[in-house]
Amino acid sequence: MAAVLKDITLGQYFPGNTVVHRLDPRTKIIMVVFYIISLFSAKTYVSYCFMAIVLFTVIKLSKIPGKTLIKSVKPLVIFIGITGVLNMFYTPGQELLRFWIFKITKEGIIKGILMVSRIIMLVMGTFMLTYTTSPIMLTDGLESLLAPLKVIKVPVHELTMIMSIALRFVPTLIEETEKIMNAQKARGAEFDTGGLIAKAKALLPVLVPLFISAFRRADELAVAMESRCYHGGEGRTKLKRLKLMARDYGALCCGVLVMTTIFVLRSRGL
Amino acid sequence: MKEHILQLENLSHVYSQGTPFELTAVKDINITIDKGEVIGIIGHTGSGKSTLIQHMNGLIKPTSGRVLLEGEDIFSSKEATKRVRSRVGLVFQYPEYQLFEETVYRDIAFGPKNLKLSEKQIDERVRYAARFVGISEELFEKSPFDLSGGQKRRVAIAGVIAMMPDVLVLDEPMAGLDPAGCRDIMNNLMSYHDETGSALIIVTHSMETAGEFAKRMIVMNRGTVAMDGTPEEIFSRGRELRQMGLNVPTMTMLKDALSERGIELPGTIYTVEQMKKALEERMGGGSRA
Ligand SMILES: Nc1ncnc2c1ncn2[C@@H]1O[C@H](COP(=O)(O)OP(=O)(O)OP(=O)(O)O)[C@@H](O)[C@H]1O
Ligand SMILES: [Mg+2]
Repeated sequence: MAAVLKDITLGQYFPGNTVVHRLDPRTKIIMVVFYIISLFSAKTYVSYCFMAIVLFTVIKLSKIPGKTLIKSVKPLVIFIGITGVLNMFYTPGQELLRFWIFKITKEGIIKGILMVSRIIMLVMGTFMLTYTTSPIMLTDGLESLLAPLKVIKVPVHELTMIMSIALRFVPTLIEETEKIMNAQKARGAEFDTGGLIAKAKALLPVLVPLFISAFRRADELAVAMESRCYHGGEGRTKLKRLKLMARDYGALCCGVLVMTTIFVLRSRGL
Repeated sequence: MKEHILQLENLSHVYSQGTPFELTAVKDINITIDKGEVIGIIGHTGSGKSTLIQHMNGLIKPTSGRVLLEGEDIFSSKEATKRVRSRVGLVFQYPEYQLFEETVYRDIAFGPKNLKLSEKQIDERVRYAARFVGISEELFEKSPFDLSGGQKRRVAIAGVIAMMPDVLVLDEPMAGLDPAGCRDIMNNLMSYHDETGSALIIVTHSMETAGEFAKRMIVMNRGTVAMDGTPEEIFSRGRELRQMGLNVPTMTMLKDALSERGIELPGTIYTVEQMKKALEERMGGGSRA
């Protein structure tokens, strides 16, 4: 199980110094929104190929290893498989094959393939955001983008602060879980034998210390924040001010260009 | 006469292999541990001590190399890995954070219970282990979370001793304790060693402790074994130790300082006792009054 925990690279930040890493987080968030809109507006394989090229270019620019990206899609394999199969069977059209109550149509196969590529590209695209943006930058960007909502009394600063603390502590808690599991294993505990109930029971010696330590951490963090006079977002300035650079405007233009291309293709029925 | 109990052969470990965070924590380690040895492992922060000792009971698998318990590869089968857990007891750093049971008694009993021992045997072992670490029976029904830091640490150590390992490995057992607490725990551990003849491996930052109790010291540097020998041998290489960011014991420093001022004392000195004896001898033994 510890091995499983280690393999969670979901949303993990990969430090780097490429142009993708250096973009303003706000730019990247907006680009992801553009990307998702484009992806869902893509109709035929022509548009899909275009989007794949766009994604591939960004991946190459960011120097994120392909292996990591493939790993990020892995947990979704079953979901993706089911989507593909369902689309294959339930799309009406020219029948290719039939057995028992199932029939496979030509349209179904095409749609299945497109749906599967859409999901994979969606996951990879959004993970590119978290892979190239540190959690702090991500929440800073989000806070800045959502700032207008403060007018209607949405506690934007508090929400993003909660989010950044949560993100910050995910790796810590995973590490802690591993450590406690190892310590109990050293006392002969086993986590992967027996039935469901035995397995659930075996987790108790891990969960109790984990919760105690999480509460202790929360306490310490609260004290540390208060002793540094933290009192919410009012009048608080940032260590790293977000500032849009030429490259951000360039990137946004590319984003708009991609979206326009997809819309044009769509209007031509492609 | 000497029998090997644990052997590490060409052992290397790489964390997060195949990711940008890849890091070789230990490499090409060769260590043979005899039955009943007392070994101190020292090394700078991040030198791979904790990584190394977690191989000893099979908690982490070497990326390459082997770990042998009495000649048998501990990863050769599931049973072998299970067996090593009861033969090699590992106490992590800050073990008090692993306490979870409602009472001290039940927490100490967790290990023996996992060994599927009978109620009676479990009871014997709990009392036995508690006696070693100086936890009195009045505390048995208390919640471990109501104890002082030092007491918690003892309960956690008792939890591993209750498995009666033939090799007891401890990661910084004295971190964060006061000098009296350190001494108590060291004496407890030594009496476990003396009574059961089990091997004792202690990771520590304190040169004094290692020099005083261990017959053999292993110095880790950047994931490799830099030195392996008796405290005398190790402490006579003070300059190399300092290059690794380590220090020699205070008494060794005193000896060096004295020799700079022309007062030569013979042999290696690393405890107060040795220093006292050497000084008395030099003064001709006449200064006793
Ligand atoms: N679970 C892990 N995942 C990735 N890297 C790790 C892990 N545990 C340790 N490391 C790294 O391996 C190296 C050796 O760490 P290790 O904990 O073995 O050192 P140590 O000698 O015990 O240090 P200390 O004296 O601080 O306890 C360090 O650089 C550390 O960052
Ligand atoms: Mg350590």
